[in-house]
Amino acid sequence: MDLTGLRWLQQQQMVPPEFLQMLGSDGREELRRVENYLGHNLDVLQSFRPGYDTTIDGCISRTSSFQMEPVKNNEENRVIALLNKRKPEGKTEKREKKKKIKAEDETESSMKGKSNMSNRETSSDIQKQDYIHVRARRGEATDRHSLAERARREKISKKMKCLQEIVPGCNKVTGKAGMLDEIINYVQSLQQQVVFLSMKLSFINPELEFHINELSSMMVDSRSFPLHQQGSLDYSVINSNQTTSLGAKMETSSSWDVHSHCPYNNLRTDSVSSLFSLK
Amino acid sequence: MERQIISKKKQVFSVEPTKLSPSEVFTRKYTSHLVPALKKLNMDKNSSQINQVTVKHEVDMALALSAQEFAWGRFLLQKLSSADSKSSSSNQTQILERSNDEDGEIEEKMKELQELLPGGKEMNVEEMLSEIGNYIKYLELQTSALKTIVQDTT
Repeated sequence: MDLTGLRWLQQQQMVPPEFLQMLGSDGREELRRVENYLGHNLDVLQSFRPGYDTTIDGCISRTSSFQMEPVKNNEENRVIALLNKRKPEGKTEKREKKKKIKAEDETESSMKGKSNMSNRETSSDIQKQDYIHVRARRGEATDRHSLAERARREKISKKMKCLQEIVPGCNKVTGKAGMLDEIINYVQSLQQQVVFLSMKLSFINPELEFHINELSSMMVDSRSFPLHQQGSLDYSVINSNQTTSLGAKMETSSSWDVHSHCPYNNLRTDSVSSLFSLK
Repeated sequence: MERQIISKKKQVFSVEPTKLSPSEVFTRKYTSHLVPALKKLNMDKNSSQINQVTVKHEVDMALALSAQEFAWGRFLLQKLSSADSKSSSSNQTQILERSNDEDGEIEEKMKELQELLPGGKEMNVEEMLSEIGNYIKYLELQTSALKTIVQDTT
């Protein structure tokens, strides 16, 4: 591959200028290795994508999504990642910082004209939306299973982080196992509390009858009557100046933001968590 | 305490809708389920034994009814309504053997969590983790509601 082709590439903003420098001197060796490596695999690749132009005359990589043979060499990995860099498009899903493997069918064929390029672009546009974009970091395998595995693991760790914020006392512990321990303990303690409280409730239940009307009235906060019917309870409406303990507890909670990063965060129970702490 | 009693059996509607946060919504729903249920229990049993099991059942039922938007809520409701006459098994305090194996440890803990969450066994790990967060929050709300009820009557 000669430099003219590379310059064309640069014009396409595919290759950073520094890369050209690198290629000019000793990068060529690398590139040639890459070409050779990929050249061997071309037959295999073609079988996956029948509609594509087969002559790859010295052009570097044609990476297809998840159909690529695992790249063994780390250097090649990096080079391919560099070469495949494209202008970011808006439709990629799950784009994270370092994690963006080119999943599109791109061709770096500088030899072919722009027309071919546009053809492939349109068809690769269609294919782009199907794939999850994850970039392989250096030294990591790029086959399909490990990619899916990694995406899954990241989802899980993201959720663990959310849980960490909910469960009090989780900040001090690190690592999955410790956190899971904490979470288990917390859930168990909450459930035991419920059992205990309901036991208490059953003891005082006879007296409940006297207070039941008071209770039912206290449940209603006068400042926020719901629009729908409350059922067939006997309600007595409280004066607006009176605040109930339950109403006070309700005030501390903030509004729900469904689209926030961690949906649990806005559901605050500060008063509750201060009442008991695990550590 | 001044209380203006407007009328005994009148339904009250407000002119404008008010915005309630989910915890308020839940607490309201929960208490509106639980309190009538307790009252009914009282009137039915009539000072005969009100065993803890039925109270616990009502408590759980109220939770399940107020959390229908979550998978665990629906599952809990199903479990409670199908196992009405049977006594609830105490599945909350199980002491499991923890293996010392590194990889297996986390798996085991996940399984334990799954057993704690109602309906957890039928979910996969990711789902379960998000459901657990909701479950914890709503358990906390439930405990605070119960505390208030207990406190106010003693």
